[in-house]
Amino acid sequence: MVSAKIPWMDRRRFLWLGATAAAASPAMLSAVIDSAAARRRLLQVNGYPPDAETPLELLDSYITPNDLFFVRNHWIPTTVDAKTWTLTVDGEVETPLRLSLADLRAMPRVSRTCVLQCAGNGRGLFSPPVAGVQWKYGAVGNARWTGVRVKDLLARAGVKPSALHVHTFGADLPPGKVPPFHRSIEIEKLIEDGIVADEMNGEPLAPLHGAPARLVVPGWAGDHWMKWLVRLSAGVAPQSGFYMDTAYRYPKAPGPPGEPVKPEDMAPVTELFVKSNITTRPARAVIGRVSEIGGFAFSGAPDVARVEVSEDGGVRWSDARLDSRHEPFAWRRWTYPWKPARAGEATILCRATDSRGRVQPREAVWNPSGYLHNAWHAVTIPVAG
Amino acid sequence: MKGPLALLAAIALASALAAGGSPAARAEGAHRRPADRARAALPILGTRLSEYPAGDGKAIADAACLQCHSADIPRQQRLNEKQWTASVEKMIRWGAAVKETDKAALVAYLSREFGPSNTGFVPTDAAPLAAPVSSH
Repeated sequence: MVSAKIPWMDRRRFLWLGATAAAASPAMLSAVIDSAAARRRLLQVNGYPPDAETPLELLDSYITPNDLFFVRNHWIPTTVDAKTWTLTVDGEVETPLRLSLADLRAMPRVSRTCVLQCAGNGRGLFSPPVAGVQWKYGAVGNARWTGVRVKDLLARAGVKPSALHVHTFGADLPPGKVPPFHRSIEIEKLIEDGIVADEMNGEPLAPLHGAPARLVVPGWAGDHWMKWLVRLSAGVAPQSGFYMDTAYRYPKAPGPPGEPVKPEDMAPVTELFVKSNITTRPARAVIGRVSEIGGFAFSGAPDVARVEVSEDGGVRWSDARLDSRHEPFAWRRWTYPWKPARAGEATILCRATDSRGRVQPREAVWNPSGYLHNAWHAVTIPVAG
Repeated sequence: MKGPLALLAAIALASALAAGGSPAARAEGAHRRPADRARAALPILGTRLSEYPAGDGKAIADAACLQCHSADIPRQQRLNEKQWTASVEKMIRWGAAVKETDKAALVAYLSREFGPSNTGFVPTDAAPLAAPVSSH
């Protein structure tokens, strides 16, 4: 890999980087990155716009720490002044609203723990390859989001029965002639589950995560979780534009891998697919000794019913133990005490079943933009005799 | 471009970003609100910026692509010529500056360097994000 290190950073430049890095000298930063403690890190897949995933082995807790949470930006991120920020609620409403951050925070507050996953998480695992950020496993995390229910905002504005969709707008602007990132969401989903969140895991939302407020749409892919949210507009029809009509669409029926699919044969990506991953595993194991295998499982359904592990390529499956913590659309931690019976290379597979009975498939359905990869996850572990 | 030149390019780029977005974004920004143009803190995660590998077409790629995104994005792709053609045409529609006479050379360069067998991309380790300053 050809890369250029920037050893020249002056204090001002370092403070600029310091918005997202550590408050220390560049030398210290390098030392942190290079030391053994560098296990705590992000895997940057794009220098700018900044995109980074979490190493799978660090996704080993119920709550994903803010500093390790994956980052995805379409463009150079914007920064919004919280003092002048307003949220507009308009469209098919009796009384359009324009709320300051203080106005928003004065409304009844709720907290929900749920999974945020990039629609393209796992794109790099599809074959044949497709264009886009080649995420592997770590564009996902589970956080506690706090803010105001969209339902309360719509009620306060007096939403009309004619409103069936909510058009969402963020403050970030695309470069050149790139179309703006506009999305809309069925109003029932937002009334049921949507939050305008200004806190993540008890901290103010970070700039890279959409400060001062973003949309939280539990169970739906990250493209709905509009960052730097400035406007919710109730509409009769869905939003139109590139990011509704062309991007973030998924085939209605599986087709041959690598073949193009017409836009009319696709529908917008919405709910997450049932998925589990292994985050905890021994580097090596010994016959007859128990090692812990563990991970997370989640779905677009409110809960995960079951996680299973296979040691024989998916012929026989054994139930993993589900952690007692479960909240709608949060991930479920699971563990499996593995006692290898043979020496050599062991391949461990996991699969999840959600509360609607959908089972994680052996292969993900290939699709032209590489969304929602959810194939069985396999890890290979050497076993000593 | 390796060594000092790469470093200079990285510095120039980082400076451009610090000054208010990509050159394209700044040119485009004339009609935007000052608040959007005054992007005082443009965070990048790591301290490394990758670059395109040397070869025929690199200069075209540098000029066309790096206005809006780093070389990381093309460098991690594994696309055939048909897919690269589609990507380049999409980017031209979106404002990438590619002369009609340079298009074939750009597609050839990207297809050669980042074709279906490309496995050379490795993500860069970046420090965890610092906590934001409290706005409460």
